[in-house]
Parts: sequence; C-alpha cells; structure tokens
Amino acid sequence: MTNLLSLERITKAYPGVLANDAVDFAVERGEIHALLGENGAGKSTLMKVLSGLTKPDSGQIVWKGDEIAITSPQASKALGIGMVHQHFALFDGMSVGENIALGLGSQLDATQRDRIIEMSEKYGLPLDPDALVFTLSAGEKQRIEIVRALLGEPELLILDEPTSVLTPQEADALFATLRLLKEEGRGLVFISHKLNEVRALCERATILRGGKVVATCVPAGKTAEEIAEMMIGTRPVPAAKGAQNLGETTLSVRDLVTSDISIPHLAVRQGEIVGVAGVAGNGQEALYAYLAGEELAPSASAVRLNGVDAGRFGPSERRALGAAFVPEERLGHAAVPDFSLIDNTLLSNLGTDGFQKRGLINWRVVREHAVEVCDGYDVRHAGVTGRAGSLSGGNLQKFIVGRELIKHPEVLIVNQPTWGVDMGSATNIRDQLKALAESGSAVLVISQDLDELFDLADTLCVLNHGHLSESRETREWTAETLGVAMTGNAQGQAAA
Amino acid sequence: MIRLIPRTQFGFWATAFPLILALSITVVVGFLVMVAMSEQPLSDTWTLLTFPWQARTASVQWGFVLQKSSYLAIMAVGLSIGYRANVWNIGAEGQFAFGSILAFGAYVLFGMPDTVWFLPVMLLFGVLGGVAWALIPAALRVWANTNELLTSLMLVYVAANVLNYVTTGPWKGDPKAGQAESDPIHESLRIASIIERTDFHWGVIISAGAILVLACVVLFTSFGYSVRVAQDAPRAQKFAGFSPQMTVWMSFVLSGATAGLAGAIFLSAETGKLIQSENYLNGLGFTAIVIAFLGRLHPIGIVAAALLISYVNVGATYVQSASQVDDSVAELVQVTALFAVLGTAFLSRYRVVFGRPDLSTEGAA
Repeated sequence: MTNLLSLERITKAYPGVLANDAVDFAVERGEIHALLGENGAGKSTLMKVLSGLTKPDSGQIVWKGDEIAITSPQASKALGIGMVHQHFALFDGMSVGENIALGLGSQLDATQRDRIIEMSEKYGLPLDPDALVFTLSAGEKQRIEIVRALLGEPELLILDEPTSVLTPQEADALFATLRLLKEEGRGLVFISHKLNEVRALCERATILRGGKVVATCVPAGKTAEEIAEMMIGTRPVPAAKGAQNLGETTLSVRDLVTSDISIPHLAVRQGEIVGVAGVAGNGQEALYAYLAGEELAPSASAVRLNGVDAGRFGPSERRALGAAFVPEERLGHAAVPDFSLIDNTLLSNLGTDGFQKRGLINWRVVREHAVEVCDGYDVRHAGVTGRAGSLSGGNLQKFIVGRELIKHPEVLIVNQPTWGVDMGSATNIRDQLKALAESGSAVLVISQDLDELFDLADTLCVLNHGHLSESRETREWTAETLGVAMTGNAQGQAAA
Repeated sequence: MIRLIPRTQFGFWATAFPLILALSITVVVGFLVMVAMSEQPLSDTWTLLTFPWQARTASVQWGFVLQKSSYLAIMAVGLSIGYRANVWNIGAEGQFAFGSILAFGAYVLFGMPDTVWFLPVMLLFGVLGGVAWALIPAALRVWANTNELLTSLMLVYVAANVLNYVTTGPWKGDPKAGQAESDPIHESLRIASIIERTDFHWGVIISAGAILVLACVVLFTSFGYSVRVAQDAPRAQKFAGFSPQMTVWMSFVLSGATAGLAGAIFLSAETGKLIQSENYLNGLGFTAIVIAFLGRLHPIGIVAAALLISYVNVGATYVQSASQVDDSVAELVQVTALFAVLGTAFLSRYRVVFGRPDLSTEGAA
C-alpha cells in the first residue's frame, strides 16, 4: 500500500535545541495514525512543517509519491492537508456560517450554506449555520473547525489534542466522525495525551521523544503502561535521592479545593525538593498562583508557611514569612520587559530591608542589589540599566531566579525553572536550586520536564486535571507509574 | 516595501524622532488650516508664532501663557498617573469645580477671615474638595465595578449644578450682577502677581511645586513604582504583591487633589468669587486630558505640552483681535497635535525599514 504522505529524515534545529532529529513519519490512506510524545518531544514542530509554518533544515516530504516543498499554509491547504487546532480560531460575535466562510476566504452565500449543512449531516456534525458562536459549547465550536477543514476537501486531516476540551459523549461522537472519514480513504493524524483513546481509535502510533522517533507500534497491541514508558523512557533512578536530613515542614497545603484545582495534601520539609510533574495545562498555573498568593485560597489554613496560616495572605505578606516565588512566564510576569534590571530588582523586594526608607525608594541600594544578583548568578548583560526584555531567555531566567536566591528564602516555589532556557543556564539554575535545598530551605518545583524532576526532586507528585496525587519518594516512581499518573489512566478519568 | 522592526535599543532618537515628526505634522497641518481660514495666511501665521513680541507688552502675553499652562499642567500630571495604570478619571473639570466650592466654603465656614495666613487653609480645602469628588467614582469602581469613565464624566455635570446652586442659593451675592455669583473674597486672600500687571502669579509657582512633588511620588515611592508596573505588565503587578484596588484609590486621590488645588488657585487668583458654572468653568479640566496624552503621560512632556498648547491658544486669541481670524484655529492645532503625537507614538517602539525582508532571519520562531 502506498503512503499518502511520508516524511523522511526531517530535521529542524532551533537555537539550543534539536526539535526534530531525522524524524520518519508516514500516513497511509484510510488510516488514523497517532502521534505521541511529551511536551517538547517535537510534535508541534513536525506539524508546523506539514502546515507550511516552518521549513525543515533537511529531509524530504513525499506527498502521493512526489517529493514536494510546503512553502506556506496556503500551499499546505492547496495540497489537501487540513488542520484542526487545539485552540479554536473563531470569532465569537459572528455566526457559524460566517466563521466558516471567513476561514475559506469566501462570502457566505446560499451554495455555501447548503454545503455546510450537507457536510455537517453527512459526517454527523450537526451545526446551525446561523447560530452565533458565543452561544455554543466547546464541542460545537470544534465541529465548526472540523467542517471548515473538511470543506477544503483535505486528503490528510491533522487533529491536535481534539478531545482535550470535550465531554466523554462529545468525544465518542467525534470518534464516529473520524472513523467515517477514515473509511472514505482519507488519512488522519491524531495527536493526544490520552492513551486509552489512542488505543481504541488508531491503527498505528509513532512515538517521539527528545525530537527522535523512538517507536512505531500498533497501539491496540500494547498496554497504556507500555506506551507511556515509550513516551517517557526508562530513566536511571538517582542513587542517593530521597529523604535524608530533612527538617520540619515549612510549606504545606491541605484541602485546597477550588473550581480549577484540588489538592488534598502537599508538604515540603526543610532541605527537601518536592517536584510536581504533569502535562501542560493541567493546573500548574493555578497551583502556582495559590501558593504565591496571587490567588487567595478559600481558607487561611489551606496554605501554611513557616507555621503560619497564610492562605488569605497576598504575595508581600507571604514574602515576609520567608517565601520567594519564580513564576513560569519571564516577560510580563516575573519581570517587566521595558524596565531596566534595576527597576526589575525591586519587583520582588518591596518589603526587603533597606530598599525603602520613610516611604521613599532608595534607588542606590536597589542598584547595588541588582549588580550583586547579576554578578552572583552569572547573568550576562550589557549593564544593569539595560532593558530586561533585551536579555536572552537563559540570562533573564538566571536573573529572576538569582533575585530570589540571593535572599536565601526559607521556602522557594518555582514554576518551570528552565522552560525555554539553554542547556548551560539550565544546569546552572538546577545546581543553584539543589544548593538552596542543601542549605536547609524547602523547595517546590513545578515542571513539565521529567528529566529535570528526576534530577532535582527528592519527592514527586503528579498534577492531572487539576488534581494533585499523593507524593512519593522519587525512587519509588518508575517511568511507567509516572506516565500513567500523568495521562490520567490510573483513575480511568475521561475529560473532566 | 516599508516594514516595522521592533527596537532593541532605546536611545535618544527613539524618543525624539516621533516627537519631531509629530511637531512637523502639526506645523504643516496648522499652516493649511491657516490658509483656509485667513486672507493673509503667511503674515497671520507669523503673528501666531511670534505674538508676544508683536504685542505692546510681551510680559503680559507671557503671563497669560504661564498662567493658563500652570492649570493645565498640574491637572494633567495628576491625571497621567492614573492613566498609566489604566484608571480613567476624565472628570477633572468637576473636581476642579468642587475644589473651588470647598475653598470658598472654608472661607465662609471660618467667618471670612481677612488675612493672607488663611490662604493655605483655603488651598487645603480646595485639595480636599477635589479628592472628595474624585473618591465617588473610585468607590463605585472598586465596590460596584462601575466604569469610571462614565461616572467621573457624569459627576462633572453634577458638580456644575452644585456650583449653580450655591451661587443662586446659600452664597448668593450681589443680585444686580449680570450673572449668578457669590460675594468676592477679601483682597488679602487673592493670590498676588509676581510681575505687576501680568497674570504671572504665585499660583503658577505653587502648581510648579506640586508638579515636582508628584514627579517624586512617581519616581521614589512604591505607589509610583506600582503604577509604572501596571502600565507595562499587569501580571507583574500581582507578582510584586500590589493591590489593583489600591492603585485605583490612589490614582483618584492624586488626580482629584491636583484638580481641586487648581480650582482653589483659580478662585483666589482669577475670579475672587464663585460664579455660575457656564461663566466659571471653561473646560480646563477637559483640555488637561488632551495635555496628558500630548505629553505622553510623562511629567516633563506634560509641562512642555501645556506650555506649547497655551502659547498657541493665547496666540490665537491675539491673532483674532488683530486680524479677524477666528480663534478656533487654536483648537484645530490642538487636535492636530494630539492626533500626530498619538499616531507617531508607536515609532518609539519600532524602527521603520525600507526594502525587502531578509527571509533568512524569519520563520525561525
């Protein structure tokens, strides 16, 4: 059987990272092919190559037997490649029909309406062309995206995390549609983290890890645990990690339940690094916000810092209790891009001794402190009066982490400490975090990077659909158990 | 092909180039307006640009310019602090009126003292009046999530009616006057001129001092810092631990205080009495909004913009009396300047590049 599409030895490098390393990937007609991998495994880059958003550095794209180059999204569409993105690109104030017509670059006329209705009936995607988009559910919005893609008569349809926003019933309806499309001889690429769905739906699966293809398999013939292990890999378990010389619990969370997160119990002791693993978008931002005081917990006792009920305290009061925070987003959250490094030094130091005198900011002290942070934490910069936004990601992150570490906080909460940071800086930052814990501070690291967590954490827990699992010593986890906990199969959870 | 590239370096030209361009646009458009409105555009434009030296006494004309710009600058600096933090008080005109009313109220309340030492008390009450009036939209925004643009604007008309009420009711003065007005305050409480027979009075100096104080608030207090953070990165404001509500309160307090102070100075220096609203309020509080944006919300820019716009305004009045060109030319220049400054502001963040894009550096994101 001939392949509809085959990618051969696709390689794409970004500064500091090889996103795709000689990736082979093929889709046949009448096949649903799963593309699996952790965040950062290279799935998005591969799909960007297919949709014409980026050009590979090397490798071949063979479409229906001919070698081609995809130069733009328009060219990709013209070939017959359709894309349904995870995040909807719809105008809320316009009708379903207008949105579809806009996406196709045409006007909404009677023939267009008829085609929309015909298409939606044929594939079991009920849609009212006159309904306004803001009145629709997530499932209905996704149907718009699918119909819009189908009206372009694609031979290959790519769906990126299509079930992440759907209810189980909506997901079942979607699978029926996808099987219908498959039987018509189209090729489908299904990107998902939900392994049970993949096992039920897909003929083949290609698994990426660290930019490379690690396996191609028939998912129905494997257990979810086996697939998870292939995605995450078998990692050497660090020898001496685990509880040792741990002091008292200085950060604890108990029964923190809100609309977006549920944390029955979490405790970090002096000298301990606790890691929170999880796939992006499973509540990491909310967990950080409740711990840092950017969101207030429902009750004061839900978050305890250094023996004080701090759930209703804001960030400044929590800092006064000895806590420090590093949010995920560097620009606009941890630092103001248009501010100098001096101005940015003040951001988390408003309550620090000596920075303010009789209500007035002592800029001389702030400046000296900025220089100390840069010198002490290897921040390469063109001068402390330069804009924070002009620093490289790695250097800015070293500055942001250093700004907290120099205070020697008793409790440090870090969200994605090395996200998008070059290797050298990442190693530097991890070493600094370890040194802080060794000196007796409690450190909580929220990260999507499992290698990082295995390297850093003494204790690990998993955030999945906003729910935090029990924590166990890092050596008690295996790649399998961790993968299962992250993909939600253990509790048999469907979409929440 | 013209493209815009984000600037990485922010040198002198990043600030100067857009302003020079805006000024050039204003001059060209202003001249075209003059061509349309005047029979001798060249000589009238020359008169507009050089009027202080054409007038009989230059110091009188300069006095007008300084006096007018001092009211505009102090109110605009107060407003600009909130504007940086997305707090939109557009009711400075009403806070100005209420400042005047409370300053006069203090004068009546304390038994109409006839001594210059009472002047600071009057000014203080002016400040309190402006703050009190500004706290209404602040409270509505914080507690009821009401849009402060609407409430602060509507309160201008409420304040104008309060002014009409007191000048026709409790504080009604000479019934034979051609307008509703109060009795005048004692001569000793009138702010004196620094240069005789000009409008350059001590109120200008008081305003300049207040602007300096506000500049220090912005540069050296954590509140001023929080406002700058809020302008550039609202999430970083949360990270630092600033309360957005406190920003709203403080923004209104400061803008209300400056408008109230301006109102009290105006009462003491210009009129010496309260007058019915249409003859007392002349839109200074609204023009101050324009000045705040013309000055790019920066204290130095605002002072420059206030001087420039006052110069054109006073000049237009002079041209009108000298050669029958309607002084609405000043408003047209003002609006042109506003559009030009706002329209060129993006050039301080972007460079304009001519030529074809360099493909090798793109698509890597």
